[in-house]
Amino acid sequence: MRCGGWPLGMLAAVTKGLLILWAVPSQGGRPLPPPTLQQIQALVRHMAEDAQELFTFYEENQHLAIHHLCRTNRPPEWLRGPVLGPGGLRELRGTMTRMAQALQDITRHQRDLNPPGAEILRRLASTHLKVRGLLSNLDGLFPAPSPLPGHRPPPGPTAPTKIFRQKLAGCQILWSYARFMAKLSARLEARSRREKRRSRRGPRPPTRS
Amino acid sequence: MNHFIVLAVLLPLRTCYTTHSQQESIVFPVTYLNVSKELAFQRLLVEWDVGKSAHDAELAMLFEIQVRRIGETTTVWTEFHNVTLDKSGDPLHWMWDSDLPLECMSHSVRIRSKAEASKIWSEWSPWKTVLGLDTLNNSGPQIFPNEKIVEEGSDLTLCCIGRKGHIIEEFSLYPAPHVFNHTNSQIGLLTVKNVAHQAVPHITVYCRESCTEEECYDHAVLFVGKPPNIPNDFSCETQDMRTVTCTWSQGGDTYLYGSHSPKYTLSEEFSQNPIPCTVTCSEQCSCSWDIGQQRIYNITMTVENPLGKKTATDVFDVTHRIYPAAPFQLWEECRDTEITLYWKYQNKGFELFCQTEVVQPDGKVKLHNSSDSHLHYASITLSGLQPYTEYTARVHCAAAEHFWRWSEWSEAQTIRTMEAAPSGKLDIWREITQVQGGRNVTLFWKQAPGFRANGGSISYEVAWEKEEGASKLERMSFSSACNSTRISIDNHSYRVSIMAKNDVNYSLPSVLIIPRGTEKELSGSELQEEQINGTDDGIFISWDPRHMYDSYIIDWCNFPTLQPCDLQWKRFRPNTSSALINSAAFVPGVRYSFRIYGSVGNRVSLLKKKTGYLRELPPLFDPKVEKVELTFNAVTLSWDSYPTDESQSGFIRGYHVYVSPIQEVCSLQGSRKHVLPDNSVLCKYTIENPEEKRYTVEHLLSNTKYKLAVKAYTGGGETPIVNFIYIDTPFNSNMLYLLVLLVIVPSLVAAICHWKLNWVKDCCCPVIPSPNKSKVLSFKEFKIGSEKVLKVSDCIPDMLAVDNKAETQELHPWSQLSSAPTEAKTDHNSSWIYPSENEERAFTHTPTPQTHTWFENFAYSSHFADESCPYQIPETLETGKAEPSVVLYQPHYYFDISNEDAASTPGETPGRKTSLRYISQTDVHCLGRRL
Repeated sequence: MRCGGWPLGMLAAVTKGLLILWAVPSQGGRPLPPPTLQQIQALVRHMAEDAQELFTFYEENQHLAIHHLCRTNRPPEWLRGPVLGPGGLRELRGTMTRMAQALQDITRHQRDLNPPGAEILRRLASTHLKVRGLLSNLDGLFPAPSPLPGHRPPPGPTAPTKIFRQKLAGCQILWSYARFMAKLSARLEARSRREKRRSRRGPRPPTRS
Repeated sequence: MNHFIVLAVLLPLRTCYTTHSQQESIVFPVTYLNVSKELAFQRLLVEWDVGKSAHDAELAMLFEIQVRRIGETTTVWTEFHNVTLDKSGDPLHWMWDSDLPLECMSHSVRIRSKAEASKIWSEWSPWKTVLGLDTLNNSGPQIFPNEKIVEEGSDLTLCCIGRKGHIIEEFSLYPAPHVFNHTNSQIGLLTVKNVAHQAVPHITVYCRESCTEEECYDHAVLFVGKPPNIPNDFSCETQDMRTVTCTWSQGGDTYLYGSHSPKYTLSEEFSQNPIPCTVTCSEQCSCSWDIGQQRIYNITMTVENPLGKKTATDVFDVTHRIYPAAPFQLWEECRDTEITLYWKYQNKGFELFCQTEVVQPDGKVKLHNSSDSHLHYASITLSGLQPYTEYTARVHCAAAEHFWRWSEWSEAQTIRTMEAAPSGKLDIWREITQVQGGRNVTLFWKQAPGFRANGGSISYEVAWEKEEGASKLERMSFSSACNSTRISIDNHSYRVSIMAKNDVNYSLPSVLIIPRGTEKELSGSELQEEQINGTDDGIFISWDPRHMYDSYIIDWCNFPTLQPCDLQWKRFRPNTSSALINSAAFVPGVRYSFRIYGSVGNRVSLLKKKTGYLRELPPLFDPKVEKVELTFNAVTLSWDSYPTDESQSGFIRGYHVYVSPIQEVCSLQGSRKHVLPDNSVLCKYTIENPEEKRYTVEHLLSNTKYKLAVKAYTGGGETPIVNFIYIDTPFNSNMLYLLVLLVIVPSLVAAICHWKLNWVKDCCCPVIPSPNKSKVLSFKEFKIGSEKVLKVSDCIPDMLAVDNKAETQELHPWSQLSSAPTEAKTDHNSSWIYPSENEERAFTHTPTPQTHTWFENFAYSSHFADESCPYQIPETLETGKAEPSVVLYQPHYYFDISNEDAASTPGETPGRKTSLRYISQTDVHCLGRRL
């Protein structure tokens, strides 16, 4: 089905692109105003969809759909939640930093398995950029002292060495990440609705979570 | 004595036999056997030894080695191994590569030996076993090999070792190639023959025991790839004699990526050192390093991946591998026909040879070579160029002493030469129109093939003056957009010149003489216009060349029906006698007129006039039949107003007259059958004179409908027949008269007869009493056959009626009888005797003469005997005189009223005579009465 000469898929892609342009503040050399919560909420919604798509593709592409190997109920600790703890979005930074590192590891493993330019590599890179984008937004929203040079997130459990184990671990991380982002998006939507209801009752001073 | 000799001979023989027998029976069993495995190569390493005496004797020995797998009933490998022992006493070694991973199950080896000279094998050594992992207590199933890189096309065997007490229920690959699969035991086996690279970059292996918990699964990954290709375009060169760069292509896909992808290393053989360079690959791979003072190199490039290694070498002298950098910063100095081009290049310390490519305005490319020894720049002068013309130039260079490769091209430079005076002449022509008191001359000009404007802005200057006598030179100037002008001159001879002018100067003038002349002379009306035919390539025109002319000119109008008609002209060399004229404006169906002129000393004379079509088309419209003259068997058609001039789309060659035939058969004289597309048939008459516009179609049938059509035809044929003229030929009056004569008159007579039937009956057929009913004939019967015969002697006639009607006499064929028609026919003269035997066929009566009573009644057409009757025989008549008269009834004879000659005679109609003996008078037709 076409709509005015544009395939629906293309329209959806264009819409997403515009959303990201709006949600990810540009860095044109001058200090930008911090992103709004609405922008972050829109970006999270988009990242949740993207995470689900990435997981579905990865599971199929790596022949891991058998026996639901990836759909583990034991996600890595840093993706276990709660998605919005007492620290709110501020705590999300740590999760996203770990996720960015995990995506880099998955990409590195997949480079041994796929030719340069393979679709899985392209999708992993795209998701990695989005995670970095969200981190950047969070940094804008909650300015914090720069990490010390050479600072890396604390190491996780010992990385699997066997290729299959690496594939499976990557798949399980992507599954957990997709669920985490879905929950986060739902939680932000709910909070947004609550705040809208509150704002209708009466003006309150803006707060940061 | 003899016994002693015998014993002396036998004793050594026995000794020899004993020694030989001992040797044949000596065995050297394996004294030591050790088996180990090298898992990286899936190889069994076997070490064994035999007794020291065998080493000391340096025996040549044969060993039989057997390998078996625990759990399999047969030996999987048997090999005979020849060894010549030495005195060192070192143990012996043998290796065996297993197709099954050695982890999968336990392998055992045994050996026996035999001295080559011996026939006896030693005992087998005990089996020596290396255990497989199936014997261990595993925490879960295990797949072997795991993460193996397999060469495409090879065979592969995998196993999955289950835990003790468990059986392997599922053992499979994704994507699944065709495999041999053996499960349902503690060890699952899976064999893939001729492994092929699948669409995915790796194969995933799954193994499951007969349970579903997580520890019941194992998975593995296998890679199918290819060894690297030989880099066949490996080559090294330098741009500046300081850095050498080697390049090569990656070759085909090995399907191995990331850490498994091919690794490249370069080494130098003379210095035996690896090359300190970093390989980068995109479209091509390359590696660069500083060369220092070394000039001769032998570089080996090695490409290696887990499946193999390939090398390529390049031995070279650096001074022979100079690939200069592209020249840069081009600049130029311009003149009208010359350009000097300068460029820079990197300082190098070697001489360069450069090539300059010049692209002409017409797209042609010219190469100019140059060699320059300037340190920082080089130059070349390009001459023979056209003024005010754009050229595009670029340069590349190569080492002059040892050519290796051209450098890349420099940036292209577009350069325009300076202006110069127009070169060449204009091609000029004229059209002269006679007007009151003089002439209007339209002058045309165009740039001749050799003409060049040589400048940006060009204009034209037209000048004219009387040829004879002093007159003022008149001049006019026109812009570059103009190509014609009209001047008015008197009837004197004039000299016209036209020049082109640019910012630099004028071109040479082109001159034309307008001679004095009358209108008739100018138009050439006395010349006959010849018809010519066009071809696919144009309209071919020829003329008779004459020596006196220095050129010929043909002019024509591109649009003959328009005004102005876009006059065109073409000039030809003096030895030309024909030309193919073509124009994009030429279209089929338009008549073009061409005038051929001869030119000498700028004066032209009209030689010929020709007219023709590029291609003739059928006439645009049909002749309109204006007059139709119709008779009962012909029709005359005329179409006098039909034009045959240039308004037609072809030369009218004649006409076709079509007539619809009767019953689809063309039988009209002078016509030919013509079948229409719908298969209907017409008769076609052809008129070959286009001026004959009248035609008579003859031999038509009267009172018939015809359809006709008149079509004109040209060299392009004729249009389809669509419209017909319909005619009805009138009735033929002659036929009417004949019809009246043949049908109406007899009908009228018959009607009158019918109307006056009684009168006619009374006239022609009065009532006659029947003789049989007459009292006269009421006599005693005397019969001859069926007829009653009255004897005259018995009958006393009381009255005789005489019928003497005139018409009877007149109509009687035998006019001789008219003299005595009323006499009683008892007279012997009126009786006759039937002829002799010859006449029997004509009359059925007995030939014997008999006596009859015969009553004459003209209604019955009695016949009187007469001498003139050809049927009467004189003898008979004479006989009749002596005999009593016998009167026979004679039947009537019929006469055709229209043809008396056709009247039947008795002699001609014997059958009719024999069939009639008596006819009742009421049955007689009145026409018969007229007889």
